[in-house]
Amino acid sequence: MNKEIRFDEVSKSYGETEVVKSLNFTIREGERLILLGPSGCGKSTTLRMIAGLEPLTTGDLYMGGERVNDVPSGQRDIAMVFQNYALYPHMTVWQNITYGLRVQRVPKDEVKKRANEAVRMLKLEGYEDRLPKDLSGGQRQRVALARAIVRQSQYFLLDEPLSNLDAKLRATARKELVNIHEAYRQTFVYVTHDQVEAMTVGERIALMYEGELQMLDTPERVYHQPRNIFTATFIGSPPMNVIDVSIIDDVIQVEKQRIPLPLAWRRHLAGISQKRLTFGVRPEHLSIDKEQKEHALCGTVKYVENHGDTYAVYIDIAGVEWIALHEYRNWTQGETVYLTTESKRMHFFDRETTLSLGYPIHFLEEEQ
Amino acid sequence: MHVSKWEGRRSYEQWKAYGLLFPSLIIFALFMIWPFFYTIYLSFFDWNMVAPTKTFVGFQNYVDVLTDPITYKVLRNTLFYIVLLLAMNLVVPYIFAFVLDLVLHRWKGFYKGAIFLPSVISLVVGSILFMWLLNPVSGPVAIVLGAFGITMPVWSKLDGWVIVGLSLITSWKVFGYNFIVLYAAVNGISREVIEAAKLDGVPLWRIFVQIVLPLSGATGIYVLIITIVQGLQYVFTPIKVLTQGGPYYGSANLIYQAYHEAFVLYRTGHSAALSILTMFIFFILLWLEFKFVERGIHYAN
Amino acid sequence: MQTKWRYTIPWHIVFLLFITTLLFPILFAIGSSFRPLEEAYNDVLNFIPWNPTLENYRIFFGSMDVIQITFNTFLIASCVTLFKVCTSFLAAYAFVFLKFKGKDVLYFLFIATIFIPFSVTMIPNYLVISDIGLSDHLVGVMLPQLADAIGIFLLHQSMRTIPMSLIEVARLDNLSHRRIMKDIVLPLVKPAVTSTSIWFFILSWNEYVWPVLMLKSVEQYTLPLALQMYMSSEGGTHFTVAMAVAVVTMIIPLLLYLTFQKYIIGTFTSSGIK
Repeated sequence: MNKEIRFDEVSKSYGETEVVKSLNFTIREGERLILLGPSGCGKSTTLRMIAGLEPLTTGDLYMGGERVNDVPSGQRDIAMVFQNYALYPHMTVWQNITYGLRVQRVPKDEVKKRANEAVRMLKLEGYEDRLPKDLSGGQRQRVALARAIVRQSQYFLLDEPLSNLDAKLRATARKELVNIHEAYRQTFVYVTHDQVEAMTVGERIALMYEGELQMLDTPERVYHQPRNIFTATFIGSPPMNVIDVSIIDDVIQVEKQRIPLPLAWRRHLAGISQKRLTFGVRPEHLSIDKEQKEHALCGTVKYVENHGDTYAVYIDIAGVEWIALHEYRNWTQGETVYLTTESKRMHFFDRETTLSLGYPIHFLEEEQ
Repeated sequence: MHVSKWEGRRSYEQWKAYGLLFPSLIIFALFMIWPFFYTIYLSFFDWNMVAPTKTFVGFQNYVDVLTDPITYKVLRNTLFYIVLLLAMNLVVPYIFAFVLDLVLHRWKGFYKGAIFLPSVISLVVGSILFMWLLNPVSGPVAIVLGAFGITMPVWSKLDGWVIVGLSLITSWKVFGYNFIVLYAAVNGISREVIEAAKLDGVPLWRIFVQIVLPLSGATGIYVLIITIVQGLQYVFTPIKVLTQGGPYYGSANLIYQAYHEAFVLYRTGHSAALSILTMFIFFILLWLEFKFVERGIHYAN
Repeated sequence: MQTKWRYTIPWHIVFLLFITTLLFPILFAIGSSFRPLEEAYNDVLNFIPWNPTLENYRIFFGSMDVIQITFNTFLIASCVTLFKVCTSFLAAYAFVFLKFKGKDVLYFLFIATIFIPFSVTMIPNYLVISDIGLSDHLVGVMLPQLADAIGIFLLHQSMRTIPMSLIEVARLDNLSHRRIMKDIVLPLVKPAVTSTSIWFFILSWNEYVWPVLMLKSVEQYTLPLALQMYMSSEGGTHFTVAMAVAVVTMIIPLLLYLTFQKYIIGTFTSSGIK
């Protein structure tokens, strides 16, 4: 049977406030989909609607081709990992892992087999008789995972499962999650606000903002070809520089400075009547030079921030702040610098709708 | 229809909730809500609890009660009880809670346990113990006072004194509970705030008045109201056991008077009218509680 | 350290004196109950039983069926406790973990009944229980005691501390409410259930109003009523016997409290308000 999850015009309101607005998308069977977005964007609510913990206000939700609006949580064949792990504090690790199976009258040796496998996979051997309070954060998180995988559900939901771990543990836990999914290939939906997690874990990312789906695509596309300004600035750190520009006679005007529009873009943007656009370029794709260069924008260094592997250089161009990343710290405040970028690192957005104006066709082909 | 199915499931959940509430609802309906309304009903009738017929008298019972000088004596007594109970069971335990939490560092558990202990003892026991302890002629207190040349008043026979005595007995029982609740509130105040004040050299009494009181105010109001509402009902027991409201209604409060009218004088209507008036006063308190305590909660958040 | 003690010692003295005053009546009663009547009368203050005697207890046990009365008290307190804890637990569970129409209003109404004084309900309750022939019967004393919202309140407070996600995990496992209550909620709120039960038991053991309204015959009496018989406005002549009855009446609550002290104090400390 096809284990996909489909949202059809789904919305959710609490009283007057609409937290999820007419969602339409499909989570494919067996894929790892990340629901990404800032806090309050409706991603957790969306996940909880899949789990059946929140009723839909309007619309229909299909799981495995069946409309599940009316199906209670317990009958949706879902395993879920909560942000606070939701371990039963009065049960040992072993009891926590096996409780759900025992209640559902799974045969004893089957329970044992599955639990042993999960314990081994998540390196919980020797901890079976401990209570959650005697475990470290990372161990608790792994118990929660073990409890979810022994259910062998078709759907695997995770609500910010790593946000209570420290950075180092998070990196290992991410790999672990991917391994688990590779082993079982459930339909995997993962909520996070952390874009690094989204990029590393996700096969596809659904970016949400203010209750609406902003973009749903592979991590590469979400990064390289953001569908709108929100996606462009949310993904990537430091965020993409987005500046209002106007294009007149194939020349990009940034306040009083002008640079010619690259050839590929000239053809692509030719059909677009709107000439007041938003131009975007990521800090990591900007080159800074002390010497004047052809087709470069000129600005003044405001300050430099150490990011460890790189330095973020804050540059003022006609009152607008740009950020560029550079390998070395050899920039002083007040210094005049010249910024350039490659044509295929440019992004253009409609200033009114904030939507991307697309990319020249051969750029897209290169990406494939 | 798709919609009705979800509705169906939701209302199934609802029925489960009502099912769980059912036993409580039945009990409360039978022994709390229905009696409440029946008492309102009775307050409009002249009846003696045994006669086969009740006579409708409109508001006459209320008029009788409100024109009876005894009612005013009882009201004055009630007010005096409230003042004494609040002094002994709000002001003193508040200060004790503050001192125990912020000044003392040792034996806290013992102090809490010992102070709460009398709260588990029957007020009938309390009444009989204090009747002997406070016996004006041969009781230990009288003897000790006598050694200092002080003659103890025959408190149970004197207006005013009798209320002091009965309040003392009741306070013996109520103090511990109030103390524990207030202690929890004082203890719940962020330590940083108090440490900061201490570092600034703010004197203790100022910390109490300007920091602890405002920050634990919601609980303070709760204890204030519960002391009045429960305290007046608790006092019933020593009154009934020791003085039966005497000397000449000198120790009766609103609750005891309602009992007296109903089960001694058999004037059901008067009793009901008096109870409803009491209820009215308590509901004003309830309203205050929700107003202040709710606000206190928002404040704390 | 020196300065610290200078501040705290006076307060320690205040607390110790205060506690001595609070506990003195109890020690006085226990001591006097073991003294011969004559001796106790002539020297009230010296309450330590130098010539201990069980005479007072013998008189009390001879004058009425103490075993029966204690059993009555125990039976009423046990039934009331069991019933109240069960109904309060179910109601609190519904209020905390289920969604239903009128939830907030209903909870408010339950809590509001705490503010209804017994004088408002005593006449109708007395009439109804007489009508169904249960006055002067132990069940008649139990019934009005069951309508008490304190338990719903205390257990509500305690259940609120359980993270909702625990219940959601259980729902995803397709657990029935019965199982969630039994396997998850009950073990987690056990301290509150224990202390609420103890508290209910003590309350009912000490209950005075309903027994005094309902019970007529001595065989049906509870301990507080029996104790009341040893009292007259002048104090009566059975001083030491009255003390013995007082000791018998308070011994069970005291033992329960001393055993479960930590739970009880803990529940009242953490419940507070809201």
